[in-house]
Amino acid sequence: MNILFAIEYRGNAGNTHAISNYIKVGAELGHNIAFYGPSQPQVVDGWYLPPEMQTARFSTDLKAFDRIIYLFESKLHHLKRLNEVGMLGTFPRARRCILDADGRFNPYIVVDGYDRSHRDEAELAEWVDYYEALADRVIKPTIAPADDPRVTAIPFFGFNPDEVLDPAKAPPKKYDILHVGHNWYRWKDVSGELLPAFEQIRDQVGEIAFLGLWWDGVPDWAHAMGLEPAYRVDTEAFRRLRIRVEPPVPYTDVIWAMSQARINIFTQRPFLAHVQHLTLRYFEEFCADTIPLLMLKDDLAEAVYGPAGRELTLPGRAAEKILDALKRPDHYRQVVEDARRYMLTHHSFRHRVEELVTALSD
Amino acid sequence: MRILLVTYVDPWVRSVATVHKWVAAGRALGHDVAVYGDPNPELPGIKFTTDLAGVDLALFVIQVVSDFPEMPRLVRVLDGIPRERRVVVDLWGHFNDTIRLEHDFNHLEKLDGHLGWEWEEAIAAVSDTILQPTLAPQRPGVGSFLFHGYDPGAVTKPYETAADAAAAWRDSRRSYGVMYVGNNWQRWAQVRRFMEQYGPARSEIGKTCLVGWDWGARPEWAVKQGIAGIDTDPALLAELGVEVRPAVRFDEVKALLGEARFAPVFHRPLFRHMGYVTIRTFETFEADALPVLMLPRDFVSAIYGPAALALVPGDDVAAHMKDALRRPEPYWQAVLQTRAHLARHHSFARRFEEIAALVKDRGRGGR
Repeated sequence: MNILFAIEYRGNAGNTHAISNYIKVGAELGHNIAFYGPSQPQVVDGWYLPPEMQTARFSTDLKAFDRIIYLFESKLHHLKRLNEVGMLGTFPRARRCILDADGRFNPYIVVDGYDRSHRDEAELAEWVDYYEALADRVIKPTIAPADDPRVTAIPFFGFNPDEVLDPAKAPPKKYDILHVGHNWYRWKDVSGELLPAFEQIRDQVGEIAFLGLWWDGVPDWAHAMGLEPAYRVDTEAFRRLRIRVEPPVPYTDVIWAMSQARINIFTQRPFLAHVQHLTLRYFEEFCADTIPLLMLKDDLAEAVYGPAGRELTLPGRAAEKILDALKRPDHYRQVVEDARRYMLTHHSFRHRVEELVTALSD
Repeated sequence: MRILLVTYVDPWVRSVATVHKWVAAGRALGHDVAVYGDPNPELPGIKFTTDLAGVDLALFVIQVVSDFPEMPRLVRVLDGIPRERRVVVDLWGHFNDTIRLEHDFNHLEKLDGHLGWEWEEAIAAVSDTILQPTLAPQRPGVGSFLFHGYDPGAVTKPYETAADAAAAWRDSRRSYGVMYVGNNWQRWAQVRRFMEQYGPARSEIGKTCLVGWDWGARPEWAVKQGIAGIDTDPALLAELGVEVRPAVRFDEVKALLGEARFAPVFHRPLFRHMGYVTIRTFETFEADALPVLMLPRDFVSAIYGPAALALVPGDDVAAHMKDALRRPEPYWQAVLQTRAHLARHHSFARRFEEIAALVKDRGRGGR
């Protein structure tokens, strides 16, 4: 099958990185998969692309493809107008589909009282109107069953064992606990679960750090935009608990950066967790030389990582789990290996490509 | 026929006057012509619709990127009207190799963010039938369709005889000798040459007025982007006594032209090169002013008919206009003959016949 992805190409973003895996694995399976657009340089927006993305295929030859997938994240209008015309005139409706990466094809939902699917009902209407005009089929990257005849649910993101960092090549462990990711609708998890746990065990663990944007305070412009809840943080609590805040790392360095810590804590935006959308980070966490501990519900963790996933969840027992992981690293390394084996069996990009091709063949 | 015009209409620029003519002439001829989109209160004379049912022909009238509708309207019109009922009228010559003439161009990424291949691919994706407003499209497979036209019913003062026209013109009191209405886009070199040549006749005929955007100063955005097609020279204009007035709506153009004795017609270099017509090619002959055709003679002959050659000045613009002032009748005779030629060959009724023939021909497998 010949599949063209129309996305907002960003060299340092997870969706772009995931599709580069589809391109590589798809070629091994005899499929022609590419990003729409002219070839990109090796450096995009100042970030060096990872090696596999330097060989990612780009194409503007629309006629060389028989399916197009429009991947939407936070923006609807990300394509240049003439490119849109070319695509729509070339691919009939039956050969277009949408990948709803940010869960916009859902009802208006408010989760935990502060995170939401859309700004308001009007924005929801705009997204639905756009999607319905563009295609009959929407792919959701979720393990939850499809709740709408127009929706095809496939996990979409996958595990690439080639990215697992060899412990012999990992950096020295400078942190006991690390959280890598921006402060974007994370405060409920952090304030409700993690900080109370850190309070209990702070004297029993070494360095704790959060890498990413907006952990050092709510940006000035967020209030005016009504986004204060998305960036909420308590800098005084961070200071009191001796939590270091460090700048974000380039996408290409995420696995290496996570490998600087004995434990990495994975959080997900509440809305995406609620609709059970996967992201590439679900799988990257297990590529680092670390013990991932997960702010996920047990059932979701097991569904993604197999039975081992249950042993890595934090909600309701964060302090106990962190101390246990620090005390028994060999045991947890074995748990992580079990999870990796499960992902290799169930979530390899070979699986993902086959699922996608099957879905598009329907 | 039910005809849908897919384009962006703006009362201040581009082909809005022609679109009005299509709607009105269509109604008079028993066709239903509408522009795709929501009603625009500034343009009550245009019927707008988003109803795609029963459309016989969608004319994508393309000049700038925004003539293609935004999503999701874009996908609705492309999915809602089958390809064989769509036609692209490429008014600015985008469906060609990239052309550079003086400062003019048909593709310029820094202006609209798109490269030549993107224009070509988009246009080809919409339809197999691509038409350009010239008698001689450059590319094989591209059809000739002028789109713009002449409306004999819209002539401000439809004189029966040249003598009447000349007498009325000579005896009228006019504020200006020359009036050019058009935004400053790629025509400065021609306008400047004209003004300089007109100089010796100014005291006798009257001052010149330029009406449109950016004649008074080169806009900042053009300076920043290094786009040279919007040049002007305020000091020179002041020295030549040229009055500069802001842009006007499309429905004020003809009345303004009638405030002067002469109305020059300029085509930007790209259009001169490709032999393209514009709204002003025809509209100037509806105004109560003597057209001065600053256009190639072979183009004038082909579009306006041989009589119009009398309205093309030779090398001496001032002498041409002074002669017209002294003995206006032959010039008005040329105007009346040209109006008759335009009414026969370039009326909107004729345009409807041409487009209907094209649709019929395509139905038989032609292009």
